[in-house]
Amino acid sequence: MTPETGVRFAPRERVDFVVIGSGAAGGILAKELATNGFDVVVLEQGPYRTAADFTHDEIAVMLQFELLGGTGQALQQTFRADETRTAEVSGPLPPAMYAQGVGGSSVHYSANFWRFRASDFRERSLLGPIAGTNFADWPITYEELEPYYTRVDWEIGVSGAPGPSDPPRSKPYPMPPMPIKSAGVLLEMGAKKLGLTPQPAPLAILSQPYLGRPACINCGFCMGFGCEVGAKSSTLAAMIPQAIASGRCEIRAECAVHRLETDAQGRIGEVLYYDASGAEHAQKARAVVLAANGAETPRLLLNSTADRYPDGLANSSGFVGRNLMFNGHTAADGVFEHELNEYKGVQVTRIIHDFYESDPQRGFYGGGGIDARPFLSATPIMHAMLGGPPGGPTWGAGYKESVAWRYSHQMSILGSTTSLPVDSNNITLDPTHKDPQGRPSIRVTYRDHDDDLAMCGFLRDRALELFDAAGAQQSWAWPVAAQTSGAHLLGTCRMGDDPATSVVDRYHRSHDVPNLFICDGSSFVTSGRGQPTMTIMALAFRAAEHIGRAARANEI
Amino acid sequence: MAASGALAGTSFVRAGAAGILAAAEAACTARDEGAPFETLSDAEAREFEAIAARILPTTDTPGAREAGVIWFIDRSFGSIFQGRLEFARGGLAAFQAAIPAQYPGAHAFSDLDTADQDRYLATQESTGFFQFLRIMTLAGFFGMSSYGGNRDHVGWKLLGLEHEHHGWQPPFGYYDAAWRRDETDDA
Repeated sequence: MTPETGVRFAPRERVDFVVIGSGAAGGILAKELATNGFDVVVLEQGPYRTAADFTHDEIAVMLQFELLGGTGQALQQTFRADETRTAEVSGPLPPAMYAQGVGGSSVHYSANFWRFRASDFRERSLLGPIAGTNFADWPITYEELEPYYTRVDWEIGVSGAPGPSDPPRSKPYPMPPMPIKSAGVLLEMGAKKLGLTPQPAPLAILSQPYLGRPACINCGFCMGFGCEVGAKSSTLAAMIPQAIASGRCEIRAECAVHRLETDAQGRIGEVLYYDASGAEHAQKARAVVLAANGAETPRLLLNSTADRYPDGLANSSGFVGRNLMFNGHTAADGVFEHELNEYKGVQVTRIIHDFYESDPQRGFYGGGGIDARPFLSATPIMHAMLGGPPGGPTWGAGYKESVAWRYSHQMSILGSTTSLPVDSNNITLDPTHKDPQGRPSIRVTYRDHDDDLAMCGFLRDRALELFDAAGAQQSWAWPVAAQTSGAHLLGTCRMGDDPATSVVDRYHRSHDVPNLFICDGSSFVTSGRGQPTMTIMALAFRAAEHIGRAARANEI
Repeated sequence: MAASGALAGTSFVRAGAAGILAAAEAACTARDEGAPFETLSDAEAREFEAIAARILPTTDTPGAREAGVIWFIDRSFGSIFQGRLEFARGGLAAFQAAIPAQYPGAHAFSDLDTADQDRYLATQESTGFFQFLRIMTLAGFFGMSSYGGNRDHVGWKLLGLEHEHHGWQPPFGYYDAAWRRDETDDA
């Protein structure tokens, strides 16, 4: 089916804004700017799918990465663990993992919507410097961002209930949490036994019909899949329809931007892109809002060198692409006597935030959150592939029996953690490989900081304790290892007051290029506790307000 | 986060969505009508099926054979595993090479009885060929039946997954049902 793409602008027509990317940030920025009276062209490299196009097809989604635009080999992304090595195209999983399509990764996420706490924005002041890192405070505070978190709750659609140590909120959740699942019950039981304080998970999934969208039907195909009923609060479901209805926003899908063209004054005049046929076009605009994600955004800037910008656009600090943060992730699995049937319903219904704050007593920097979920056992092929306890059979009659029994009796406890910002974790242009559109490939250089790995180990140990406390028959942990792929792409064009150590100012305007605004995961200064999208969206609402104000004052 | 470990070392080649759909529909029809194989010879198909049938054997429930996994495998070389046929053929030859010496009178894996097949397979577990066959077998058994396998949804039935359900309502499992009873009692 062909979705409604809205008003049409001619490329030679100078629109107010080109928004590059239509995901968690871009979808909000496009809707906010268009409904506030600006002409907007959205350039999205992926296709324009709608709810009717999403399926439960695990082969297409989980094996072929249909929503990511293909495998790592198809996308030709490269990876290396440190800068002394030559990066290579490796396994099927892209090193920088994000969904391509209208709505971006908000289409395929699991929708855990944790707010940051006040401490997240000023950890450097609270904890002091960390040698060898770019650990810093944000230029904004929780109090400044709170109204926009509340807008995400109410305008995107978040279900939940307040937890014991949540940051203050100006309005309650618009709807109650999703119905508790057996993994949530077991996590809650185990946590209480250990003296911890579990709480309902805030999710960007509708527990009730809301804003003209239906409630979740608990189909179980959340993580990695697109929602067939529009109950998952992607920008595709919640923002894009309003952007189009404004009559001022054109969604141009399958248009891959490869260069921002600057003029003699150092301002962006045109956005160059390839359409689906490979033909090159140039869209003129007063200003550009770059919201392409923490991997695509720095790639585009680095690929837009000019005489005035020899190291790439907006990069006088040298911070474009640096400080990449994936968040750390750990997983432990356990089985219980009775049926859990975790394949039904959303991924997460209970979380634990008792280990959120960094605690000097632990001997390393880091904090995180814990949740209970089916994880990859939500869907049959992934469940069968990953197998059971270490040393158990991976084929044969015993394996078959184990796979069948565990499908209804197994759950995972995940830890999501901080990552430290360091120079040596970054996005750069690959010197040899090209992507399918002919752009220099995204090269990911990444090795988790030792503190990040220590925090992962800490949460893995807590997970095993929780399984014991909850009465698991058996539990086992996945090894903690340096990551070679990340779905959270944070920190690569960070915000700050000092142009020497940041790429954009506190209102997301480039320090160097006056008509360039950058807002997505790249804006993050620190990584939070592993669920970044809520904050990306809050930043986008806030940025849109300031960008609109500047445009009305002729200051773009 | 995603399934990096399980998929490492296996190349999934993306064919166009339309092509995959067409291939999938053709595979479905072929499986039900017992049509000839498209990419495999009958001899190759016999070996692949024999291996798949030990990865997910027929027990008191249907296995890879009953699920029609071989139809999925045959068609997948023309679509989702495009470009992998030569790897699989070479892998099969290497896989079988030691059989005649170890089992006099046998030439192929399918010549062995199931006990010998299991013993032999245990020596091949760490090979890329076996890992590839395992992934194909699991995808064919547990994937959507439109791809050619999972006949009559036997893969999903094994897991207790009622395929006709597209959504669920609580209670989902034993523990949340008990939790809800307690909540009601407290109220």
